[in-house]
Amino acid sequence: MKRVAYSFPEEVLEHVFSFIESDTDRGSISLVCKSWYEIERWCRRRVFVGNCYAVSPLMVIKRFPKVRSITLKGKPHFADFNLVPEGWGGYVCPWIKAMAVAYPCLQEIRLKRMVITDDCLDLIAKSFKNFTVLVLTSCEGFTTDGLAAIAANCRNLRELDLRESEVDDICGHWLSHFPDSYTSLVSLNISCLASEVNLHGLERLVSRCPNLQTLRLSRAFPLDRLANLLRGAPQLVELGTGAYTTEMQPEVFSNLVTAFSGCKQLKGLSGFWDVLPSYLPAVYPVCSRLTSLNLSYATIQSTDLIKLVGQCESLQRLWVLDYIEDAGLDMLAASCKDLRELRVFPSDPFGLDPNVALTEQGLVSVSEGCPKLHSVLYFCRQMSNAALNTIARNRPNMTRFRLCIIEPRTPDYLTLQPLDAGFGAIVEHCKNLQRLSLSGLLTDRVFEYIGTYGKKLEMLSVAFAGDSDLGLHHVLSGCDNLRKLEIRDCPFGDKALLANAAKLETMRSLWMSSCYVSYGACKLLGQKLPRLNVEVIDERGPPDSRPESSPVEKLYIYRTISGPRSDMPGYVWTMEDDSAYVE
Amino acid sequence: MELQLSLSLPIHSIEGFDPYDHGLINHSGCSEKKKHVKNKRSFEESFGYYLKPLSLLVWSGQPNEEDNHRNEKMNTNIHTSNNEGKEYLVGWPPIKSWRKKELHHQQQHHGQIRMQGIENQSRGSKPLYVKVNMEGVVIGRQINLRLYNSYQTLTDSLISMFVKCQNFEEDGSNYTLTFQTKQGDWMLTGHIPWQSFIGTVRRLAILRNTK
Repeated sequence: MKRVAYSFPEEVLEHVFSFIESDTDRGSISLVCKSWYEIERWCRRRVFVGNCYAVSPLMVIKRFPKVRSITLKGKPHFADFNLVPEGWGGYVCPWIKAMAVAYPCLQEIRLKRMVITDDCLDLIAKSFKNFTVLVLTSCEGFTTDGLAAIAANCRNLRELDLRESEVDDICGHWLSHFPDSYTSLVSLNISCLASEVNLHGLERLVSRCPNLQTLRLSRAFPLDRLANLLRGAPQLVELGTGAYTTEMQPEVFSNLVTAFSGCKQLKGLSGFWDVLPSYLPAVYPVCSRLTSLNLSYATIQSTDLIKLVGQCESLQRLWVLDYIEDAGLDMLAASCKDLRELRVFPSDPFGLDPNVALTEQGLVSVSEGCPKLHSVLYFCRQMSNAALNTIARNRPNMTRFRLCIIEPRTPDYLTLQPLDAGFGAIVEHCKNLQRLSLSGLLTDRVFEYIGTYGKKLEMLSVAFAGDSDLGLHHVLSGCDNLRKLEIRDCPFGDKALLANAAKLETMRSLWMSSCYVSYGACKLLGQKLPRLNVEVIDERGPPDSRPESSPVEKLYIYRTISGPRSDMPGYVWTMEDDSAYVE
Repeated sequence: MELQLSLSLPIHSIEGFDPYDHGLINHSGCSEKKKHVKNKRSFEESFGYYLKPLSLLVWSGQPNEEDNHRNEKMNTNIHTSNNEGKEYLVGWPPIKSWRKKELHHQQQHHGQIRMQGIENQSRGSKPLYVKVNMEGVVIGRQINLRLYNSYQTLTDSLISMFVKCQNFEEDGSNYTLTFQTKQGDWMLTGHIPWQSFIGTVRRLAILRNTK
């Protein structure tokens, strides 16, 4: 091995490394020997930081001086569900400032769950002369003014994606800041914007960018202008419509049919806000080619959904509301043999009674009919161990399985037993399962199954489950590959956490809220494991004003090589051993 | 590229460690640690294959034996009341706030339409969702009233929607359609003009006529 390493000049190795894309492989290369570490770090162009507080910007810059593309993630995943209080952190500013100096050639920034200000967007627009990709997923803190700065200055921008971000929408005029000479746009996602769109500016932008492939419009874009927009961009591959409703006008419909028929490359459709079923046949001409269909905002009844989905025989990914019902999923199972991913969202998540005929049976049908299905997110109101067992046996190739039975602690509706055996079957049969979300009535037994079989599991979400520390102990001691664990409202406490303390250093993060972990245990963890940031989130006030044995509200633990963060709000306390930082 | 932080240094479990006896690590634990500092790490250790977790507590195998009293503490801070006084769980079901906003947007939408009572707006009529239940059928439905333009089309569609999965008669005369007004009163449909009905309806119920 050594001989091979020494026999190549650096340039050759650098060239060889350039073919290696996988993050873990690049990581392994850098561990081979000092010279490989050096060569690898100088030629690393893309960096992924799964937690912006796990490392400092300067550390990344020092090790990788020639980065062109960076991906950063901020807040914990449970922030999506409002479990992380306002102002928690995840500010990207220190990163942008440091990179503006160190990486003048930076081209791509992808952020998830981070706070980015208009000033930061302005800095991006002015610092990186060949900037091409800005993806802001579930980000906040900026307005359309910041977007205007990007539009005005980034002449080579290829991708601007604001998916699920919260944008303070000052005006739709920012689109007109793209200069007339600008033609490089490949992907634009503005589906999250609420204000009126500058229709004229958008139409001109779309028609002058010949390489535009992805366009996701906001709800404010009217249906009667869609045909015109599509005529200017027949090369589109992905389209997100705006509101899919208008007064019934025959010419609007016929224009749409013509426009969709002209889009020969179209493979993905989304949007369909406020959809009026009578306009849906306009997309039928492209249905047979579609591989991705997001109808999760389309509030239409099962019969209309069946008519549409039934035409999409090449479908690989379907997101849909539970209006599809069991009957629609039966049809999906029969006609879409290439389906890989299915997400079924609830139309009435807070209602007490079911409003649709969607049960476990729909998912069983799809697991039987679609041999390539490997990713599932399914909201429903009843489940049985028998159904889960069938799904597990039908689809051992499942890698992501997230099931949400809407009412917490719902037992098997047939036997009234816990769903331990059913989820046990999932982890036992699906050997490559990477992500799992549990729901329903569950005892410690399910965690024993997970610890025993879930050897490839990387992310686990748990709510209202388990009876004791034993449950958490099984997971932490058994799941060798676990990186992210998030738990809410479970009777897990100090013992399991302290007994598996070092496991936390191998994971990216652990979230626990409304559990039994005491303030004393948090302090102990923080003192004994200096490479962990142990953050107690308690909006009731300082935790040391309560007894050490009293449980903390929320606990977020993550590994880090940059020490405690400095931007904590008043309700976050970091547990640290002061002596550890005195050199 | 994923940044490999390589934090998983091997740390051997320390037997007999009491978590509440702060900082007291017994002798064997200490000497073992020192040994590892001197010696170079083995391959297995470096790559974590035989990683043994550091225990700040020895697993007793009997979890929470004295913790039964804590059960009452659960559920204390997870319930929050919304404006209507109805209890709900924060962050459950796990739906992204962005998606929830969209759902809310829809409901708000319906409210606006009721307030204005206007059918045709500049961008066409917006959907008007109401819940429908049928006597003797567990599962209700939510329908968009904008898709109908008369009592007749509405009744026909509802009957076929509910009857198809039950063994009920399909004849419309066997059913009575009632609706709840903005004020909360239940009325028979057909007693007020269609447009007024659209302006006031909150939900629908189908009653089966007894012979």
